[in-house]
Amino acid sequence: MSALLHFGRFEMLRLIRSWKFLLITVGFPVTFYMLFLGDRRSGEVVAAGSVTWREYLMVAMCSFGCLVAGLTAGGGRLAAERVGGWARQLRVTPLPTWSYVMVKTATSMLVMLPVIVLVEVVSAGFGDVRLAAGRWIELTLVMWVTGLPFAELGVLIGFVAGVETAFPVITALMFVLGYFGGLFNPVSAMPSPLRTAAHLLPSFHGAAAGLSVVNGRPAGLSDWLTLAGYAVGLSALVAWRHRTEEMKGLA
Amino acid sequence: MRASSGDQPGGAGAGPPPVGGEALAFDAVSHWYGPRRVLSSVTLRVARGETVALLGPNGAGKSTMISLMLGLFACRTGTIRVLGTGPRQAVKAGRVGAMLQTGSGSGLPPGVRVGSLLDLVEGLHRRPADHHLVVERSGIGPLLDRRTDRLSGGQAQRVRFAMAIAGNPELLFLDEPTSAMDVTAQREFWAMIQSFSDEGRTTFFATHHLREADRVADRVIVLCGGAVVADGAGATLKAAAGARRISLHVHPGDEAVLDSLEGVTDVALTGAVATIDSLDPDATVRDLVVHNVRFCNLEVHGADLERAFFQLTGGDAPPGGDQDR
Repeated sequence: MSALLHFGRFEMLRLIRSWKFLLITVGFPVTFYMLFLGDRRSGEVVAAGSVTWREYLMVAMCSFGCLVAGLTAGGGRLAAERVGGWARQLRVTPLPTWSYVMVKTATSMLVMLPVIVLVEVVSAGFGDVRLAAGRWIELTLVMWVTGLPFAELGVLIGFVAGVETAFPVITALMFVLGYFGGLFNPVSAMPSPLRTAAHLLPSFHGAAAGLSVVNGRPAGLSDWLTLAGYAVGLSALVAWRHRTEEMKGLA
Repeated sequence: MRASSGDQPGGAGAGPPPVGGEALAFDAVSHWYGPRRVLSSVTLRVARGETVALLGPNGAGKSTMISLMLGLFACRTGTIRVLGTGPRQAVKAGRVGAMLQTGSGSGLPPGVRVGSLLDLVEGLHRRPADHHLVVERSGIGPLLDRRTDRLSGGQAQRVRFAMAIAGNPELLFLDEPTSAMDVTAQREFWAMIQSFSDEGRTTFFATHHLREADRVADRVIVLCGGAVVADGAGATLKAAAGARRISLHVHPGDEAVLDSLEGVTDVALTGAVATIDSLDPDATVRDLVVHNVRFCNLEVHGADLERAFFQLTGGDAPPGGDQDR
């Protein structure tokens, strides 16, 4: 247990020390919020339950921020550590094997918190979004939990991709999950086949859960089930990949 | 040597480990990567306190053997015991340290100070070695505030050595540890290893540097094509390779008889200089006299380990015969 805590603290320090990475990751979605806010009238109702554009965009950018944080914090860095031999060196220490994956996932999750909070602050300040205090807390927590599949996806990419391939894969996924999940444009404005496809993506359901909170309703069961399915499926893939790499002696 | 008993746990690196018993045991270990067989029925024992070199050409299976001993993956058939337990248990109990091959990278995480890295590795072990001792041994004192991505190859190697001994291991694995070092750094490195093994710890290293194996190790295990082809002290191996070499200037016309002399396995002529490989040089020289061979400048050499190595592994000895690599 103490080994796990030491490793967790070490990774946390590394993260804080890479402040440029943090600055970009946290600043990205907020900047997008400001840029996209003018795309429509901010009071325009764009989703069920009279959700306005400024509210929709807030939730969408929280989700997009988690997506970016999860993919970049996990994917690229992990791939580099594997190729560079550090992941392997750790395996010949008493650190339990599973804790590497666990700490990596947790670190990605931790980056998501300031991302979400900052989007919320900017939405309230510049977007004039008004929610009850309890609702803000609920929204923060819901958005944070919906980031879990993204964190796992990042770790999976780190295991599957090489250093050169990780970056294009991350970029492609950011676009696919962001655009088709309705994070740049409301899904209701999309042609019907795309609308159907959106329902398959974790980004869509993450945002949908957040929108429910904004509407004052509990998030839908189908959203949670889809997200849980992704979380379980991705962690199974990570575990499988970790295992096969171990057998080949590459991890 | 420091006092061994009565130390509080965690203090002073807890002194030398218990002497006696087996550090490593391989029993009929075989391994395949897909259809390619990399180890075929390897059986060997290493006693505690030994410094053993695993010598072999690239692709002989050295890294596979070390990975198996560290439990990085499991062998297909056979059993491996490390310090009396399974390889993985020995690693997870912090009894084993290792410097692995790192491929293209440095084996270190980027963006951290060397000091924090050492703190981490110490924190991962329940009974780490004394911090100051590790720093002193590995000579990383001046590097503690340096970032890991700003180290030279030799400095990174020192840091990795520090990490390998930070857990106060009873057994140390090194996989071609000096491949990135210049000659001076190599000498310093083996001096560090020497002081480590002088405390009764076991060191097992893979190398394709023959001199390294010969100078540093008590015992050399030669691995070729996934099988142990020789195992013994460096001198024993040279003898086992059959090889003593006699060189002499022979009078023109007397060369023909050389082949038939007692003990001779091979004769090479370069002008008047004959080079004779013999299993029994004394008998060969006596026979030279008996056959009235006219000669001068006779010298008898012990064959060097390089020749022994190439003979054992079935390769051709390179021209020049005595290079390091």
